[in-house]
Amino acid sequence: MTATLRIPEPFHPTSSPMEAARWTRRRKLATDLRAVTGRAYPRVIGLIREPSWLLFEILLPFLTTSAFVFVYRALQAPPEYVGFAVLGGAMTAFWLNVIWMMAAQLYWEKDQGNLDIYFTAPVSLMSVLFGMAIGGLFSSCLRAAVVLGVGTVLYDVVFTVEQWGLLIGVFLLTLGALYGLGMVLASLFLLFGREAWHLTQAMQEPVYFVSGLNFPVGRLGMLGFLAIALIPLAVGLDAIRQLAFAGSAAHVGTPSPEVEALILVAMVVVSLALARAMIHRLEWLARSEGRLTVRGG
Amino acid sequence: MTQLAGSQARPQRDARGTWQERLLTWRTAVRLGWAVESNWADPVLFLIYSIAKPIASVLMLVVMLQVISNGAASTADLGFVIVGSALWAFVMGGIAGLAWSILDDRERYRMLRYLAILPGSLSVILLGRGTARLLIAGMGSVITLVVACLITGVPIDIGRIDWIMLLVCMAIGLVAVIALGTLMAAVCMQTRQDSWSYPEAVAGALFLLVGAVFPIVVLPQVVQWVGLLMPLTWWIEGIRRAVLPDAASGIGGVGSVWTDVTGTLAPDQGVILVVSMATTAMATLVAFGGYRWSERRARERGLLDRTTGS
Repeated sequence: MTATLRIPEPFHPTSSPMEAARWTRRRKLATDLRAVTGRAYPRVIGLIREPSWLLFEILLPFLTTSAFVFVYRALQAPPEYVGFAVLGGAMTAFWLNVIWMMAAQLYWEKDQGNLDIYFTAPVSLMSVLFGMAIGGLFSSCLRAAVVLGVGTVLYDVVFTVEQWGLLIGVFLLTLGALYGLGMVLASLFLLFGREAWHLTQAMQEPVYFVSGLNFPVGRLGMLGFLAIALIPLAVGLDAIRQLAFAGSAAHVGTPSPEVEALILVAMVVVSLALARAMIHRLEWLARSEGRLTVRGG
Repeated sequence: MTQLAGSQARPQRDARGTWQERLLTWRTAVRLGWAVESNWADPVLFLIYSIAKPIASVLMLVVMLQVISNGAASTADLGFVIVGSALWAFVMGGIAGLAWSILDDRERYRMLRYLAILPGSLSVILLGRGTARLLIAGMGSVITLVVACLITGVPIDIGRIDWIMLLVCMAIGLVAVIALGTLMAAVCMQTRQDSWSYPEAVAGALFLLVGAVFPIVVLPQVVQWVGLLMPLTWWIEGIRRAVLPDAASGIGGVGSVWTDVTGTLAPDQGVILVVSMATTAMATLVAFGGYRWSERRARERGLLDRTTGS
């Protein structure tokens, strides 16, 4: 009886090791796409396997958003401000995901011993970062949708949208810019070592404040302008607010949504280019000096 | 026959010895927690992280208040918001401190399995680690209170502060915050690595219920009842009354459950202290029971040395 050896699918017989090392463009792309799927998989499947996140990452954050709604109610604020708080609450889902599950992720991976595997695997690290982003987006979108949907119904938020196309475009650009920033920060935080934890913490409330999470960012004057120029959350949220509450008297002192969309485009391009350059630099450092993958540093 | 060890080496200790050992364990854990939190970080970054977070939270609420009032918010309203949100930094630190100790030691440093087999109680070690974060949060709260008052011009008259009420309320509040932190630690012992954000989510939800930055009279009646059962509601009310005697009540007021049931506009100091103690005692019992159950389950199912990732 003869046993048949089953060769796994990615295996391609070659005549020499040199030939094996020569990958076609198509093969590289296919491997990178598999890496994207592979890295996104644990994030999506993890949510299904442990449902506690439904309570802690959807219901409870909704209550936090509600607290700001009730602050406005206690102050007898105009109704659109309640909408601002709900919209801000929805967008925090993406920001938290970017700083906790993108920016700090490579540092966690290093602590867990996975980073060495990433650097030695024959895939682009950008595909690993893309996979992290896509997997993270799944839960963030769900959380944002629940906060927005339930908040709108429960607190009678009335949206006045005149340019749906631009609104959707700005939203997608905001996500692109946010996750692009997350990719840049992932490399930076890895270099900062242990301080990544403190940096992640320091990037929550202070960023919420300068981004005008619950109020029009234009009210912060020069600080607000700086935030619009530098922080995707600030510019994206302001543009979305202007488009979702068209005609509201609250929007003063910030550029028009069209200009803010252009700022977002620039942010997407710059952040992706920067992320690519930084990840290559990291890869080089890891391979040549071998220090990046040492735990505890 | 040679005596191999002195009486102190006996595995069974009397009550005094047990408490001495616990105190030593706690002290060591506090020192370790402080080292992990502060000494390992860049001092400037540590300072920014400890202070910028609570100050930004307060400023966000102050700007919301100023935007709605067109820059004419009263000092009473500003004081109400500032005291409540400065105290909240302490609550966040307390709740997150204990829970993050579990996640730190299990997922990052992978020491929880070794701590669990030490002769000292695991809960005492975690309490010590959490105490370090409480100290940092307490420092952040005080600095936030001072900075926010200076920025907004809210006058806090040192001579009018009811120091006894302040100290008693702080002591009760400390127990309540530790109880909630212990409960969160019990939850995080059962969940995966991604529960880093859970303590903040819980603190954020409590923020709605306890009248930290707005009077609970604006909440639906059922939610007001839930808020009245929370020890933090009474703690914040007590501190606010001690620091700002003229501030509006966060519990009572026309249309509130409190006023409907008692017929008074606001609870007096005696009532605040008694209810504060009663609700804190309840929370402590629940936390103690919950933690014991969680630790036992974690030991049985091997959760103490489980690491996860996503």
